[in-house]
Amino acid sequence: MSVLEAYIFATLLLGFFGIIFKKNLMMKIIAMDVMSTGVIAYYVLIAARGGFFTPIATGATPGPYADPVPQAVILTAIVIGFSIQALMLVGVMKLARNNPTLETDQIEINNTP
Amino acid sequence: MNPLLADIPGVIPWIALPFFIGFSINLFPKLDRPLAVVVALSSLVYGAVQLLRPLPQTLELLGHFGVTLVIDSFSGALILTNGLVTLAVLLYCWQTGKSTFFYTQVVIIHGSVNAVFICADFISLYVALEVIGIAAFLLMTYPRSDRALWVGLRYLFVSNTAMLFYLVGALLVYQANHSFAFAGLGAAPPEAIALIILGLLTKGGVFISGLWLPLTHSESETPVSALLSGVVIKAGIFPLVRCALIVPEVGEILALLGMGTALLGVGYAIWETDTKRLLALSTVSQVGFMLAAPPVAGFYALTHGCSKAALFLIAGNLPSRQFAQLAQLPIPNVLRGGMAIAALSIAGLPGLGGFPAKALAMKDLLPWQATVLNIAAVGTAIAMAKFILIPFQPTPAPQPSRGLLLALVLLVGAIFAANGLGPDAYTAANGLKALGIIALGGLLYYFVVQRWSLNLPRVGERLEHLIGMMTLMLTALFWMVVT
Repeated sequence: MSVLEAYIFATLLLGFFGIIFKKNLMMKIIAMDVMSTGVIAYYVLIAARGGFFTPIATGATPGPYADPVPQAVILTAIVIGFSIQALMLVGVMKLARNNPTLETDQIEINNTP
Repeated sequence: MNPLLADIPGVIPWIALPFFIGFSINLFPKLDRPLAVVVALSSLVYGAVQLLRPLPQTLELLGHFGVTLVIDSFSGALILTNGLVTLAVLLYCWQTGKSTFFYTQVVIIHGSVNAVFICADFISLYVALEVIGIAAFLLMTYPRSDRALWVGLRYLFVSNTAMLFYLVGALLVYQANHSFAFAGLGAAPPEAIALIILGLLTKGGVFISGLWLPLTHSESETPVSALLSGVVIKAGIFPLVRCALIVPEVGEILALLGMGTALLGVGYAIWETDTKRLLALSTVSQVGFMLAAPPVAGFYALTHGCSKAALFLIAGNLPSRQFAQLAQLPIPNVLRGGMAIAALSIAGLPGLGGFPAKALAMKDLLPWQATVLNIAAVGTAIAMAKFILIPFQPTPAPQPSRGLLLALVLLVGAIFAANGLGPDAYTAANGLKALGIIALGGLLYYFVVQRWSLNLPRVGERLEHLIGMMTLMLTALFWMVVT
């Protein structure tokens, strides 16, 4: 379990540093997606602490259940993350018309008073 | 009716109304403005009722794991602010020919800000804050220019990254308590507290996490700036204050950060030469007063929201954004008057709503904290003096639009009426102190600040630095929570 946790934190941090160090605006957005993948995986991992089985009421009890609450919560967060991602990509498409290289530094200099 | 719902009458219809109307506005594009006004009025009435209700109301939906709602007079004050500012913005926009899409976003942002003000668990808060982020992005990018797009994207980057940290914190709170309620923060590990505070500080524009705010609020369109600075920014402050009231240790950290941001904001604001940037920087400073004095934060937010929204609406209608040019251009007298009232209210002149709010905020502080905030108050007076002491030009100025005048009547009326909420602040000592602070600020402006110019570096406002700053802030917060 702790190995998985370490991988998840590595994903989170890689995404975070990607947002800082990637120069291309598109890559920054993808890095943000990597970071949110890390967060989602962390929720799933914590939910599975108590057991792995899907909590569905059937006759037979197969074993210890996974905690449904974090999973339900992260489903909302996935949807929100995905819509923000889509919105940002539309913004980038529009920006790409006048800034075809999408270099963040250049866009920032051009558009800051 | 469900016995639980009987405790808070009308909360479900009232909270659902903006979302229902927001999405159905597109079906009735001709009715967009009246429908939006109905939403704002409903919050105005609901907020006023809650403000006067003595006891807090709690509602748990779907039991222990579900959504928790808490409504008290603190929520009431903020809901009232939301109603007032939204109504003023709608009046202002009435004849500007904004599309239905614009009103949809205003109504949805209004609804989600309301949701923040009544929720008491971390996940409802997360959802509401993210919806605010999306709607704010759409409002910022409404002009579709490259600059607007860039400002919006930058805002989404910063807010979404901060919210990812926040989500990790929320999960750690759940792991410790098996519940997402705010009350669990006390029993949560220090890293959870640090992560959650970081997310909310960034959303609320506090201290160095708030350096995204000046550009975002100053480059948005006039009504959007008024909405963002008047009420949306409080959606980040409100949960922090709630947590500070529930968990005292968090309150101590936030008071310290509040003082930091109060000084940082005015430190930048007094040297600013651009009207809208100055107002945005003053917001960074004013949220510090709310964090430093949690019990009065609702009242403070109400007076600040009305004054700041009025100032943004006026600043957007002045002939220039540069103070140096404004000195040579004619300004309509009515705008000059409105500007003076709103600016003096933020500076805390007795007789205006800002005075009792500031006096009550200072009342319960430790002596050194009060000293720091008094210095910040002098700084605020200097910054506001820049608006009040713009040289007069005798040439006649064009009359401002009727929408702007109506919006100003509403906001200025609210600034005066807010006096009634804090009558016990009116003592001779408080009054003299406030007058002294304003006089000192005015003199310092006239003899020192006006004659010097100082260009402070803006390097901290670049996107990479904004994101990188989060690691520094996170480390600092973790260290503060542990010790």
